[in-house]
Amino acid sequence: MATVFKTLTNNDVASTRTLLHEAIPVTGTIVSGTYVGRENIKNYSHGMFQSVYDYPYLSSSANHIFDITVGYNSDSPLSASTSTQNAKKINMYNELAQVLVGHDSTGSILKFDQDGDIASGGQKINEAVFVNFARLLNKDEVKKGSFEIKLLTGSNPMSASSPLTISDYQGTVNYRTNSPAGEYGVLYTSSATTNSRSGVGLIYYQAGVAVITASVFSSNPLGYGNVVNDYCPFATDAVTNAYVPGGHYKGLITVLTASSISGASDGFRNRMMNVQFNNTTELNSTIYFCRANHNDFNYSSNPTYLSSSKIRVKDQSTDSPVSYITTVGLYSADNELLAVAKLSEPLKKTPESELTLRVRLDY
Amino acid sequence: MAFLDNSGDIILDAVLTDTGRFRLAKGDGTFRIAKFALGDDEINYTLYDKNNSSGSAYYDLDILQSPVFEAFTNNTSVMKSKLISIPRTNLLYLPVVKLFDTAGKPSKTYSTLNTYICAVDQASQGNGNNPGSNFFQTSTSETAANEGTGILGGFDPVAGNNFIEVNQGLDTLEIPPTFTIDSDLRETQYIIEIDNRLGSIVNANGNPTPVSFVDDDNIASYFITQATGPGYILTDLSTDAGAAASPIAGPRGTGLRFKIKSSIELATSTFLFTKLGSTTTDTGTPARNFYFIDTIVRVTGATTGYRIDIPVRFVKTTA
Repeated sequence: MATVFKTLTNNDVASTRTLLHEAIPVTGTIVSGTYVGRENIKNYSHGMFQSVYDYPYLSSSANHIFDITVGYNSDSPLSASTSTQNAKKINMYNELAQVLVGHDSTGSILKFDQDGDIASGGQKINEAVFVNFARLLNKDEVKKGSFEIKLLTGSNPMSASSPLTISDYQGTVNYRTNSPAGEYGVLYTSSATTNSRSGVGLIYYQAGVAVITASVFSSNPLGYGNVVNDYCPFATDAVTNAYVPGGHYKGLITVLTASSISGASDGFRNRMMNVQFNNTTELNSTIYFCRANHNDFNYSSNPTYLSSSKIRVKDQSTDSPVSYITTVGLYSADNELLAVAKLSEPLKKTPESELTLRVRLDY
Repeated sequence: MAFLDNSGDIILDAVLTDTGRFRLAKGDGTFRIAKFALGDDEINYTLYDKNNSSGSAYYDLDILQSPVFEAFTNNTSVMKSKLISIPRTNLLYLPVVKLFDTAGKPSKTYSTLNTYICAVDQASQGNGNNPGSNFFQTSTSETAANEGTGILGGFDPVAGNNFIEVNQGLDTLEIPPTFTIDSDLRETQYIIEIDNRLGSIVNANGNPTPVSFVDDDNIASYFITQATGPGYILTDLSTDAGAAASPIAGPRGTGLRFKIKSSIELATSTFLFTKLGSTTTDTGTPARNFYFIDTIVRVTGATTGYRIDIPVRFVKTTA
């Protein structure tokens, strides 16, 4: 009986899971708003965060890279009714905290913990900068141990010397699972001494959110605890002229209290030198083993295959039939074409050959 | 000692067709891959050079160098010609499906256009007793003898005498038609595809057939078997020689006969005509203005995969 279909049995179908990683480098020139008029930085009228694009955001070619916002909790010494956007900064902190850290048994929102050991108390991150990476970059999750951000923490914001590298050192083997938003790691300032005092932030792998304590820009002690002084001045507007103390620059405490969220975000962006991480895409695949046995698929219904019903590739009946495969079609039981796979070049099929074409369908 | 070639397995990345995505989105379990087929749409077998003086390795050099397209995601645009599995390797002839487009036969196409004309409403078809006589006629007289060649009564297919017929078999003069075609090459099931917006398939008696499914491109597929009912598959094709008996010159398998019923939308509206078609004037007496849509009806033999595209023009008078 002639037939054009071959049924796939259970032995012809296999399911696999593959983790795919991509390196995502984000250079500081993009982050600082390299385009004229900072057209790749989008601020909103609600003023609760700002978005960074890789191209002027009004262009359809622009890709959303991340959002940035700042906030503190109501227990922070910076929280005061006189602070600019005080309620919104508290709200932003609380919103991210309740999603990423969760609530305690009384329903109160927990604070970001410096070392992730929430139950034991310890140092809390009371003032923070939040970097929310777009799903376009983050994909399914940030690969553990791959996140790194370089910050310019010197007293002169125009100087790129001695950047502070913050990374989830030991993230592959030492990460936390007590977050309602998935796994997270601690961001340390040093790979050599990854102790609680060197922890300056948290990276939530599945959520794609980096939480960096604002005290990383505070000089005493650098990167640990609460914001205590104005050590690092921030450029909080578009002016990029030379650093003049008291000019267009504001100190850390001033930025967090007297600047808007977007203004503080501007200042933080201008202190970002580099961000890089590897993302992870989880590919679930079904592999269909399309087996063409020696007596399968040796003839064709191609209109050019016949000349007056005679097979062109044969001179006499004893010649072997030949066909050429260019396409594999996967069909439903009712003969509807559901998926197609193409070969890169025609593949010869004769009764002397058997083929197994492994067709992978990713989900 | 050389390494063994282990490149026998080939990994291919598949893409979902629009129908595949459609079924996946429905989430009703209809997305289930149950079988596969192999296609050779890009291959032109006339490039197979059996007489190449350089030897057999060069016979298919041009074929093997044929570039291959990326996958189309439109399910109707790929896998148009499939490879066939036949256990025997000693076949020299394969059956084809041909349109019975012979003068004097009720399945003859309209002469100047080589297409079937399907009248979609009463005014276009005639009074019902003599379907098609209002159309493309040199005479305005509605007599039975005046039924237009190649005119299908799409509005009332029961009344019409014309139909579409295809025959299947070995179209060669080297084997006489009195020979019986091998049973494994005999078509027992046909698939008819038609744009569901334009019309549906009815049997030669004008009785409707349930559609098997309609895909996301509005292409309706009808699976026709003996069990579908009488008036479709012809199993007793003539063994007489000559074009009047069959378009197949050699041994014959089966035939398929059907009509088209135009859709209600075509009968009651000009929307699709203005969107998909155009207007023209016939050369009859008196000349008439009418809307038309050109389309194809595809018939595929389910056994051999051989397919034929039949041109059809849906028409509607502008008056």
